[in-house]
Amino acid sequence: MDRELTHAEAADLLGAYALDAVEVDERDAIEQHLNECPRCRAEVADHRTVASFLGSAGGRAPDGLWDRIAGSLEEAPPELKLAPVVPLKERRSVSLRVGAAAAAVAAGVIALLGAQVVHLNSEVDKMSTPERADTTLLRAATHALADPQAQRVSMRSPDGSRSAEAALLSDGTGFLVADDLPALSHDRTYQLWALANGQKISAGVLGANPRVVAFRYAPSGLSGFAVTNEHAGGVTETQNSPVVLGTLQRT
Amino acid sequence: MAIEGLQEASDGTLVLAIARYHEEALAEAYRRHGGAVFALARRLLAEQSLAEEVVQEVFLRLWQQPDRFDPERGSLRSYLLAQSHGRAVDMLRSETSRRRREEREARETAEGGYDIEREVLDLAIGEHVKEVLDRLPSDERRAIELAYFGGLTYREVATRLDQPEGTVKSRIRSGLKRMRADLVDAGIGGVWTES
Repeated sequence: MDRELTHAEAADLLGAYALDAVEVDERDAIEQHLNECPRCRAEVADHRTVASFLGSAGGRAPDGLWDRIAGSLEEAPPELKLAPVVPLKERRSVSLRVGAAAAAVAAGVIALLGAQVVHLNSEVDKMSTPERADTTLLRAATHALADPQAQRVSMRSPDGSRSAEAALLSDGTGFLVADDLPALSHDRTYQLWALANGQKISAGVLGANPRVVAFRYAPSGLSGFAVTNEHAGGVTETQNSPVVLGTLQRT
Repeated sequence: MAIEGLQEASDGTLVLAIARYHEEALAEAYRRHGGAVFALARRLLAEQSLAEEVVQEVFLRLWQQPDRFDPERGSLRSYLLAQSHGRAVDMLRSETSRRRREEREARETAEGGYDIEREVLDLAIGEHVKEVLDRLPSDERRAIELAYFGGLTYREVATRLDQPEGTVKSRIRSGLKRMRADLVDAGIGGVWTES
């Protein structure tokens, strides 16, 4: 099929398309139309949901199949990632102790007394319960974490028991997944700090129980992120040790 | 997310955890949906080893490209089953599989045991879904069954049923719309967003 489908032609094929019952050339033409037509995309999603009920025969997968899948995860790291892509627990861990040599840049910066702090007027968009999360934010965060162009920082607590992850897109939009951090009392808040150019720059006041958060951070020179525990309302500069800290993963 | 909360996690939260390389989250997705993904592939391909290959591909793809799942477009189960169906159909239509299937069909026909309608009736799908499928006009039901469970294109369905291609195409679409309306009426509306 060498030409573009009209809306009516594409719509006519949507049922068959959703059941994988079109020829390859038709499929390509429909997908081209779907890129531009939200109404047809919604219809395909509906058809596929119906089909999923037909296909939900249930039953058990064969024994041992999961072990083979789990085994293949290590052999096949995510192909789109340019950054190190081994599972989180196996990733290069940054220094877990503030001031330790292995995380010299980030740790040194966060430990600097009197470092100049620029408090960005960040617009922080957060949700408190991922289970009732705005799917748009979850989806955006998922995209950012999977984006090979994103700058990605895995943060760990000094004792290694807590972690958080940040991904910063080239347009300055960042996402922090911090649902591993324990909730604080109402008079406290977590605060995100960007470590850049020898400074710690506030990238957002996160609240007492951040889960998934979107933030803005435009300046260049990022070398890492840290999260501190501050009194409610946040601070313009901090002397507190980070709850979690991590350096930028180089591609 | 606290890993211990995975069993109650929503689809979106689960997939976000997968994007963070939490293998436990992928294991939870498999625990919830692996059986259905396998059963669908097994049904289409009629060969366990090929069906297992499909399941591996589907979950590996979820691990590698979690952002392809859009929670606004349906449940994770619906997404995984669509992936399983698409991959199984690709295999089915490959030359080798086509030959195998023809051999199998010939053998089963010879043995008198192959009856796609009977197979559909025997499906362990929910009673509501069976009822809804049964309520469809028979022409629509037959076209959907042959396309979805037989892995046939609508053109092949048209040939099989000796009906015009355009008619089959329209019947598949109208049948799916009718089923959706009936499922919602039957009180299964809540499942549209369920994991």
